[in-house]
Amino acid sequence: MRDSPGEKLFYACNYAVLTVLALTCLLPLLNIAALSLSDSTAVLSGKVSVYPIGLTWKSYATLLEASDIVRAFANSVVLTVVGVALCLLFTLLAAYPLSRRGFYARRPATLAIVFTMLFSGGLIPTYLVVNGLGLVDSYGAIWLPGLISVYNMLIMKTHFENMPDELEEAARIDGAGEWTFITRVVLPLSLPMLATIGLFYGVAFWNAFMNVLIYINDPMKYNLMVLVQNMIRSQSMLQSLNNLQPEDLLLVTPAGVKSAGMMVLIVPLLAVYPFLQKYFVKGAMIGAIKG
Amino acid sequence: MTTMENEASNGHMKRRREASENAAGGSDAIRLRRKRRFRQNVPWLIMFLPVVAFFLIFKYAPMVGLVIAFKQYTFFDGVWGSEWVGLDNFRLLFLDPAAYRTIRNTLLLSVLGITITFPFPIMLAILFNEVRQMLFKRTVQTLLYLPHFLSWVVVGGLVVTLFSEDGGVLNHLLERFTGDTYPFLYKEGSWIAIFVGSGIWKSAGFGAIIYLAALTTIDPSLYEAAAMDGASKWRKIWHITLPGIRPTIVLMMILSVGNVLEVGFDQIYNLQNAVVSNVSEVISTYIFRVGLQGAQFSLTTAMGLFESLVGLVLVLAMNAVARRFKQGLW
Repeated sequence: MRDSPGEKLFYACNYAVLTVLALTCLLPLLNIAALSLSDSTAVLSGKVSVYPIGLTWKSYATLLEASDIVRAFANSVVLTVVGVALCLLFTLLAAYPLSRRGFYARRPATLAIVFTMLFSGGLIPTYLVVNGLGLVDSYGAIWLPGLISVYNMLIMKTHFENMPDELEEAARIDGAGEWTFITRVVLPLSLPMLATIGLFYGVAFWNAFMNVLIYINDPMKYNLMVLVQNMIRSQSMLQSLNNLQPEDLLLVTPAGVKSAGMMVLIVPLLAVYPFLQKYFVKGAMIGAIKG
Repeated sequence: MTTMENEASNGHMKRRREASENAAGGSDAIRLRRKRRFRQNVPWLIMFLPVVAFFLIFKYAPMVGLVIAFKQYTFFDGVWGSEWVGLDNFRLLFLDPAAYRTIRNTLLLSVLGITITFPFPIMLAILFNEVRQMLFKRTVQTLLYLPHFLSWVVVGGLVVTLFSEDGGVLNHLLERFTGDTYPFLYKEGSWIAIFVGSGIWKSAGFGAIIYLAALTTIDPSLYEAAAMDGASKWRKIWHITLPGIRPTIVLMMILSVGNVLEVGFDQIYNLQNAVVSNVSEVISTYIFRVGLQGAQFSLTTAMGLFESLVGLVLVLAMNAVARRFKQGLW
């Protein structure tokens, strides 16, 4: 079918609008990347747009030498990896029994859990509980209060409920007990779903900010988000970096170093972004269909 | 034997077994079934035990801890030993101009945020849907989904690089053309615009996914029929596409209303500054600053309880309304 002139105009506008919108997402990131890689005179003159001028790694070198970014990066990795493992385990422990039709606590427990989505004790009472358990200043304070996201648990539960009953019957006939059935049949068949939920948790832990701000007082235990946020906010950022030589101050700019810090937050996300996109889109769809 | 025959004979055997159990009848069979169900439940109960512990300790214990909203909490006396003060904390809260301003700001920012942000994912989904070139579509989607994954720390940094008065990209351009700069981050009006705009920038693309899923359920023959009748593109969107995704739109509306008193802490904390605190202090940052940093636990717990209750009532009310239109969540 040929397009009418009106339709041609519509498609042209559509492509133009979408291109502009896509650029609003791309250009700020390119700008940050360019700032982090440009030399100090170019940054100060304000000429840097979306490509580096006077390419240099000086901002990154400064960051590596003079700040705690390496430790913070390691902290973020530990927080994320352990957090994802713990959360997947606990979400599974909740979702599997709740998906079994014969489970005694199925209805009351599901109701009690969903209720926590609608109403919560809030920040201060939760803080008092965590503090009472002696978890402040340890990563337990970040991991434990968020072990199960009810939303993710419901996705997983629905997935288990939709597995055909014949699988279980067949496994039972072959003499499989509950544990064998879970580890040999249920989990291998749930890998894409586990990957999706693992990524949900992973991004949340990588981006964890408020909880680290609240529960972690020891700067040695800061994750990347809190460290870089302090850097971005600080007015005298370069002066506060320890063991920086005066001659170095001429070669780097606060804007350049801050941009480099932001790139350290962004690049790991970009590295896993292809996977994220594949699974996240799928996960969002599950959520959409199940409401 | 093929699988199908296998299943059939299995089903047959099962039915015969059940029949014979019923014939044997009475309490024996029931006791046997109960015993079998119990044995089945044992591993599930073991699995579920840590889950119960988690919800009791980290979800329900804090709900009990809400009693300190009616007490004068001190670290020394603890939750139970502290003195009861009735509704004093709430009275203090609603008489205190700062707390009142905080609630007002929260309402203003979230209502503005929700109403202005809401249509964007819908529009984006419709635009995506009209793209016929797959490579272009995929590239644009990839770029527009990306901000969703960035933390607010990054977005806050981007906002500063764009809008700050010394060295911000926008002010560079302004200076070149008008000779003047404008303190976007320090004027209340422009700060609110930046707040709402950054929310849209971060969430609109990813929010479109849900509507894209809804769009795929629309029957293509409707569009063909409309084309036969000479309907223009706009008419097709207005009369077919939008009504087709109406249930999803209503659902998303209910979900967003429950969040009216919640302005995400990360977003506001990373965007606010002292100059605009008159409009940027919201409940979550108030609880953080006054409660945790100022150790006013009881007062801010009262604030938190108020926030939670309003949220609960709103969700229940919205769901009741939606049920009238057969769209309820439960």
